[in-house]
Amino acid sequence: MSHKIFTTYSDELALLPNLWVKFWLAVLAALLVFCPYVLSQYQLSILNEMSIAVIGAVGLNLLIGFTGQISLGHAAFLAIGAYSSALLTGHFQLPFVLSLPLSGIIAAILGMIVGIPALRLKGLYLALGTLAFGFIVEYVLFHWDVTKGDLGMSVQHIQLGSYTIKTQAQYFYVLTALSALCVLCAKNIVRSKIGRSFKAIRDRDIAAEAMGIPLAKYKIMAFGLSSFYAGLAGCLFAHYQRWIVPGSFDISVSIAFIAMIVLGGMGTILGSVLGAVFITGIPHFIVYVTDSLKDTYPSLTGLIVDFKLGIFSLIVVLALLFEPYGLVGIYKRVKTYWTTWPFRY
Amino acid sequence: MKLLEILINGLSMGAIYALLAVGFVIVFKSTGILNFAQGELAMIGAFLCFSFVMIFGAPYLVGFVLSLLLGALLGALIEVVFFTRMVGKPLFASIMVTVGLAGVISSIAGFVWGHDVYSISSPFANKHLAIAGFAVSYGAAYTILTSIVLLIILLLFFNRSLHGVAMKAAAEDPDTAGLMGINVNQTHMIAWAMGSTVAAVAGIFLAEQSFVRISMSHYGIQAMAAAILGGMDSVRGAIIGGAILGVAEGLAANYLSGLEFHGFHVGDVKEVAAFAIMIIILMIRPRGIFGKEKVERV
Repeated sequence: MSHKIFTTYSDELALLPNLWVKFWLAVLAALLVFCPYVLSQYQLSILNEMSIAVIGAVGLNLLIGFTGQISLGHAAFLAIGAYSSALLTGHFQLPFVLSLPLSGIIAAILGMIVGIPALRLKGLYLALGTLAFGFIVEYVLFHWDVTKGDLGMSVQHIQLGSYTIKTQAQYFYVLTALSALCVLCAKNIVRSKIGRSFKAIRDRDIAAEAMGIPLAKYKIMAFGLSSFYAGLAGCLFAHYQRWIVPGSFDISVSIAFIAMIVLGGMGTILGSVLGAVFITGIPHFIVYVTDSLKDTYPSLTGLIVDFKLGIFSLIVVLALLFEPYGLVGIYKRVKTYWTTWPFRY
Repeated sequence: MKLLEILINGLSMGAIYALLAVGFVIVFKSTGILNFAQGELAMIGAFLCFSFVMIFGAPYLVGFVLSLLLGALLGALIEVVFFTRMVGKPLFASIMVTVGLAGVISSIAGFVWGHDVYSISSPFANKHLAIAGFAVSYGAAYTILTSIVLLIILLLFFNRSLHGVAMKAAAEDPDTAGLMGINVNQTHMIAWAMGSTVAAVAGIFLAEQSFVRISMSHYGIQAMAAAILGGMDSVRGAIIGGAILGVAEGLAANYLSGLEFHGFHVGDVKEVAAFAIMIIILMIRPRGIFGKEKVERV
């Protein structure tokens, strides 16, 4: 698709292939730095949600988009990360700097444990197995005294040394930095040997094994990595929302994450980021539109729940119908159109 | 006696699961799509029957048949509008479309019928049949019987009729089936119509046993466990899977609820029994009881 012909492998693998990419990334970074000075608290909170979603979506894309292992239980790993951090900082008084990686690691270990039996499952059977796992984790959270079930658990603010992160603007810098770091790591994993093995397994696992890629090792690694990301996202979610209940990690969350990567574009890091921003943004956009219509049509407010779900689902359906390869597909098509203009190929 | 009663009630729930699971299997077998909107289609069926019987005052049987017809129409419509475009596109995108459809359908149902809880007054309400000294509700007996009849018809259709065989062929290899003179698009449409009809039947029976409400669509996901249990590509498997699931749920709800281990309270087992069983089955037989092991070519 790309218009540029690469002459060396290192060119093809480069993180920042040309000056334009560097330029736009710098512009984006500069814009992000100034966001808290321009945007309102509410708008910043949307951006914060997006940052957390980006981490989770990138992790899920490593598993589904790159390795081809469909998981419908991503919310379970988010929940494990969130509850781990809640217990570690609340019950065991660990600092956030330790509880963040630890909650990721706990989620990763559980992810790898799930990954072992999942080696026998393929395609839809794997999807449904992970779906069942998600329900069981939710059930355990509801019925275990440690997690306080329905009452939920309160979580502290993020403490960095003696410094407490409290305002939306402070959260914005922490979350954006962390999510940028996660995206960078994912991008690097993808262009390493591990990433290439993942793709080989996705495209044809038997052939990959014949070529000397240990299937079991890499599949479990993919599960571990994806759960690690989910654990981090869950931990950040817990500290950001400061209150977690099992209901915030139900099947709809897993489905929203899948919607993010399918809509964004499977098997691309850029796609996960775009999808996460898009899917997190839509509900807020719908609320914004209905709020502005409220004065002229007061009867709308009672229907807002149905309205939100309906429009959201409809956007997902239509986007998939017209662009099954996701937002990245649109981006690539537009890019190809302009780089090859006036020719059509 | 208690055990027998649990078994009968479990079987009547199992019959509903079996119907929902068969709906999954029909669509999956002929199009390769796992239909996440199955529970929502069942919900629509129940609401349609409710509207005909309770609002327009039609006789129960008329309402029942009309809702089935409308259900079939809805299924065919969904296929024509959404899935003819998706042929040849990534399968995963099609599956996500059904997830989105599930949301669209339940929000439309929310607009039309609201979020209240209704019930259909059927001719079987509150009547009990005394068999060998214990009471079986008319509804349960009726559910089991109708499901058995319906499932036999479906089995015959898939194994004996030309359309059924064509459907299997279209699933196996759409391109070759097309070359052999099978209208693949039409086959897919029939499959969707059938899947959604069966779902409507399941929904109406479910309403018989509990209520008509939006959240009844959750049974769709539990019925997926039944489909997995039997193997996603086997109608026979789905039926047996549904029966096992219903009975196991009943047993678990009766014997496990209220236990406590080290601060862990077991309650509402009904909600997770299906998924626990699903995981166990997947561990032992990754393709379900009757699912065929696929031979893969590289």
